Amino acid sequence: MSELLRFSENELQEYALLIMACVYTLRIIWLLHFKAGRERQAPTGQFRTTRARGIVYSWMNIAMPWEMESTRTKAFFYVQFVVFHLGVVAAIGLSFVIPYAPGVLKSGAAVLIFQTVIGLAFLVSLLRLVRRATDKYIRAISSPDDYFSLALLAVWFFFAVFAAPNRPERGEAFLLGFFMLTAFFLIYVPFSKISHYLYYPFTRYYFGKTMGYRGVYPLAKSKQ
Amino acid sequence: MSDTRAAQSHKAKKLIERMSRKLNRQMAGSLAACVHCGMCTEACHYVLTNPDDPTYAPAYKADRIRKIFKRHFDWTGRVLPWWVGAKTVRTDAELEELKDIVFGKCTNCRRCSINCPMGVDYATFNRMARGLLVSVGIMPEGVAVVSKDQWEIGNQMGVLKEEYIDTLEWMSEELSGDMGDPNAVIPIDKMDADIVYSINPREVKYDPRTIADAAKIFYLAGENWTMPSEGWDMTNFGLFSGDDDLGGAVALRLYEKVSELRGRKLVISECGHGYRSTRCEGPNWAAHTVPFEMESSVNTMLRYIKEGRIKVDKTRNDVPVTFHDSCNNARSCGLFEEPRELLNLVVTDFREMVPNRSENYCCTGGGGAMSMSEYTPRRLKSARVKADQLKATGAKIVVTSCHNCVDGLTDLIRHYKLGMDVTQLVNLVANAVVVPEKIAVEKPAESEKPAAVAVEHSLEAFKILVVDDEDDIRLYYTVLLEDNGAKVIQASDGDEALKLAKSEKPDLITLDLNMPGKDGGQVFEQLRKDPELAEIKVCIITGRPELRRLIYDRPVPPPEGFLDKPVDDHALLLNIRKILEVG
Repeated sequence: MSELLRFSENELQEYALLIMACVYTLRIIWLLHFKAGRERQAPTGQFRTTRARGIVYSWMNIAMPWEMESTRTKAFFYVQFVVFHLGVVAAIGLSFVIPYAPGVLKSGAAVLIFQTVIGLAFLVSLLRLVRRATDKYIRAISSPDDYFSLALLAVWFFFAVFAAPNRPERGEAFLLGFFMLTAFFLIYVPFSKISHYLYYPFTRYYFGKTMGYRGVYPLAKSKQ
Repeated sequence: MSDTRAAQSHKAKKLIERMSRKLNRQMAGSLAACVHCGMCTEACHYVLTNPDDPTYAPAYKADRIRKIFKRHFDWTGRVLPWWVGAKTVRTDAELEELKDIVFGKCTNCRRCSINCPMGVDYATFNRMARGLLVSVGIMPEGVAVVSKDQWEIGNQMGVLKEEYIDTLEWMSEELSGDMGDPNAVIPIDKMDADIVYSINPREVKYDPRTIADAAKIFYLAGENWTMPSEGWDMTNFGLFSGDDDLGGAVALRLYEKVSELRGRKLVISECGHGYRSTRCEGPNWAAHTVPFEMESSVNTMLRYIKEGRIKVDKTRNDVPVTFHDSCNNARSCGLFEEPRELLNLVVTDFREMVPNRSENYCCTGGGGAMSMSEYTPRRLKSARVKADQLKATGAKIVVTSCHNCVDGLTDLIRHYKLGMDVTQLVNLVANAVVVPEKIAVEKPAESEKPAAVAVEHSLEAFKILVVDDEDDIRLYYTVLLEDNGAKVIQASDGDEALKLAKSEKPDLITLDLNMPGKDGGQVFEQLRKDPELAEIKVCIITGRPELRRLIYDRPVPPPEGFLDKPVDDHALLLNIRKILEVG
């Protein structure tokens, strides 16, 4: 293993992680400096709904595609969403497994699982790029950051698929590419739309709290 | 960077400055978190009816506000605005464009909010944007007029106290007559009542039978209730205009009146935005902890039936009905099962429309849309989704617990020729309620009815001049009024109207405002200034309610009536009879 690869897998990631943690902390402080709204009225709605239940339901909402019309009626898109985000988790996991637990990748099955999940996520990212560029609704709302973040992820997935076997002796290009991109991501993410997962717990918490208190969450879906 | 350095209008500067004070954590989160996934797109009825126009998509509309937020409050947007689509507003023309989106392309129905995987509540910050625009004087004229009425007169339809009290007394007499009990009255300003009943000014203006029906139910339930003489309007235009100060002031007016009367519970008549504003948002806007209970009249009526305080016979409502969930009730206050429970107790054939409950589509008249006549064609186009929903039920009557929805649905039913009626639960309950024999008034048999009763409400003795430049509207009013006995003459413009007024001396003139040549406002002023014609009663009927100010601000006595188009048979006859003091 070259010194550059060793540095990329270790110190570079640690520095990048540190920067990301600092920026994220600042992001959370920024968000929390806005005052929180207060509900003075008595709760409304069904007795089964409460603030706490609304919050938990809201957080879990994304894992319950049958609950929202938008996910219920777009099964293929929801599957893409799941695959894409599993790919992200797998690729992030890979960036820790390679330097800290390389033994895991001695198992051919483990490598195959990583490659399959990330490979599928790569395909989804291509589909999403096409959708973003061709769907008139999505194109109308897309900024350069939307395209760049998605394209970057696609490239990252691509490198991750080939980095998964962790065989530097066969060539370091994919491993180097994967770790360089990971480090770039760690620094870039807090400034981009990819930081949405940082906001998710907050937006969902407040929306769930309000909707739970008002008896709207859990959602009362259509009945025939 | 250049867009903040360029000249910025005073209004644009103020809007941005005020945005920083309006933002709270929920809104900031919603503004920062959108990932532009487009999952909200098909949740919006505007999108479904304008499939070729991406500017109707909720995320696109939200981005018009988000751009400003990012440019001024989010660090990436400050440093690299073009990269994340951040952009400030510079000119008043841009603010006008924003107005068109936040008022004219969204009813704040919250359907996109509940369909967003990220929990982005677009409706909430769209309301914030409305409030910011209103704070710099940019709003549809109808919003300005209605807000002004609510600030100054105390209710959003400009109903004067005398008119309100007259209507209550009139309904009170009807109740006494119907029940055959002189004690069956509408108590006004009664102290220590268990229930203080608040209503929508639309009920006074267009639908007093809902007041009479509610009074009948309270009376039969043996309720200790009252209606306040002032501060009675539970609607709140602050919800639609985004003006929290107005919202707080209006809500407080009602809360203080209930406290002054030492009422134990405030019951809010069937109105989606009124219920939400009074029950949910008012205490927050007014920063006031309400010391008494509040509930929708739907809950009250349901409780009466469950407790056996009133008995109902559902076979009296045997026409197929469907129920429309008001957005404010269902998606913002969790009120969707109670109306169904009540409906099933008072009708024999209830059919759900699909989707329903929290997933129902907006009536398209929400968010104050009915007062913004400039967006009417857009609203009616977007109503196709609702029309299809209604049609699929096969029902003859659509029931809703919201006055705004009554108007929105009535308009779209007429536009799409669905041939359905719109009613409220209170009307169905009042129709189904069984009047105990001891107080039931013996109705005379048909043959025994005195002849006078048959013509009691006839307009036979009256000559009415219908003035409107639209042929089909003139024809509609004429046929309706002639069918009810009136002698009708017609004029299609202002000059002809004045000429006919002089030669025919009608008892009443129904006057349109927007006409070629001499407009209705000028005609009205001339009528009032001419001693020969000044006594003729006038009922303004206009499709532009925002022009009300132009009439009431004139230095002449006000018209006897003012109706907003579209007007239905019931409202037209009711108001004409009221003006002519018939029946």
